[in-house]
Amino acid sequence: MSISVIGNRRGNIPKTVVAYLILTLAAIAFSRVYALFSHGVSSGAMTWLFLYPLLGGATFYTLLGLLLPAAPSVAGYRLFYNLHNSGVATLSAASLLQGILEIAGTASAYTAPLSYAGWTLAGGGLAVLLTGLIRRGCGDSL
Amino acid sequence: MIDFLKRPWRWAVCFSIALVGAFAFILLDTFVIPRAQAPADSPGPSAEQEESGPPVLPEEPVITEASYSDGGVTISIETARAHDTTYYVADIRVTDPSLLRTALAGDTFGRNIKETTSEIAEKHGAILEVNGDYYGFRDEGYVLRNGTLYRDVPREPGGDAALLIDGAGDFSVAGENELTEQLLEEWGIRQVFSFGPALVEDGQVAVTPSSEVAQSMRSNPRTAIGQIAPLHYVMVVSDGRTRESAGLSLAELAEILDGLGCQTAYNLDGGGSSTMVFNGRVVNNPTNGRRSKEREVSDIVYIGYR
Repeated sequence: MSISVIGNRRGNIPKTVVAYLILTLAAIAFSRVYALFSHGVSSGAMTWLFLYPLLGGATFYTLLGLLLPAAPSVAGYRLFYNLHNSGVATLSAASLLQGILEIAGTASAYTAPLSYAGWTLAGGGLAVLLTGLIRRGCGDSL
Repeated sequence: MIDFLKRPWRWAVCFSIALVGAFAFILLDTFVIPRAQAPADSPGPSAEQEESGPPVLPEEPVITEASYSDGGVTISIETARAHDTTYYVADIRVTDPSLLRTALAGDTFGRNIKETTSEIAEKHGAILEVNGDYYGFRDEGYVLRNGTLYRDVPREPGGDAALLIDGAGDFSVAGENELTEQLLEEWGIRQVFSFGPALVEDGQVAVTPSSEVAQSMRSNPRTAIGQIAPLHYVMVVSDGRTRESAGLSLAELAEILDGLGCQTAYNLDGGGSSTMVFNGRVVNNPTNGRRSKEREVSDIVYIGYR
């Protein structure tokens, strides 16, 4: 792997944090605007929707960049990155759907499986990252 | 395949398409795609109705803009204002309990099978009708209509007060988690509505100022039905979400029904669903807050001969 590629990957973390902060603000704005047209009906899933990009995205990548700055260079980081981001997106979408349905006064059997899929993707991503970090640790110690 | 996805943005694009597709499917499945369902079971018509058969129009009706009388059914409609809201009260007396009836949109039980209140009413020759509990918007809650049990899935405890109407036309309220098919048959129940809450029970207001449907905490258009005495009922619909009418809270609606002398009264689906139709004319001003239009619903409660 070339040095330039490693450098690009390290540069991904600040950009990712900024992207998630923008998504957090967008989620807050969307839930506030939606509330204006909800005739006083509220939903926790809609109100707290922004927590997924804030905690699962911005906060997570900030901590990752501070505590494990070399993480982007481990094997499988791209797979982790894709899985984790997809997990956060799926969880956010499931929460948004849940909010829309709760405010409308209905429910769907599909929102729970969507949430499970989100947690599975995010968890799978973390497992890939941890495996890469452990392998790298073992390789360093040899 | 893995090599394909490893290239920049490929994963993001493919996954985004899949996620948007899933999101759209769930929304369509919940709000749009009609799905007929088989009844859970049928307790069958009550014995007294089997013996007597359906009632027939006893004499030529006398109809005015706000009243109806034919010897079997007497209806008078009044318009009143309270709490900065216009509301409509239909006072109903019938000689036969089976004249208080219900109908499903498209005469079919299922999810997202909808028609406007007046369309359903027209098909059934209804004299007076209001929207029902919009059962088709949910997958839970008992649905028993004209003696047929369509759904026997109780709602979660806490939001589970159902309105029962028996073969004699008498109203009562029970927790859905206490109901069974056997009990409904034993009690001779002909109709079960699953919305609520109960507004008046045993002649007493049964809600508090903080009571609300789900998380709604605002005045809204409302629909309610109540029983004053044997074969003597009221249907109340209020306007709301307009400059002219703010809408009612549940406590305000309960106060009105209590003032009308109801022994039992129950809140049906409100908001944009709230509609009262009398002799084919929409009495109230149905609105979703943005435009005045009758919303399509799953079911109605009506007074009629067929």
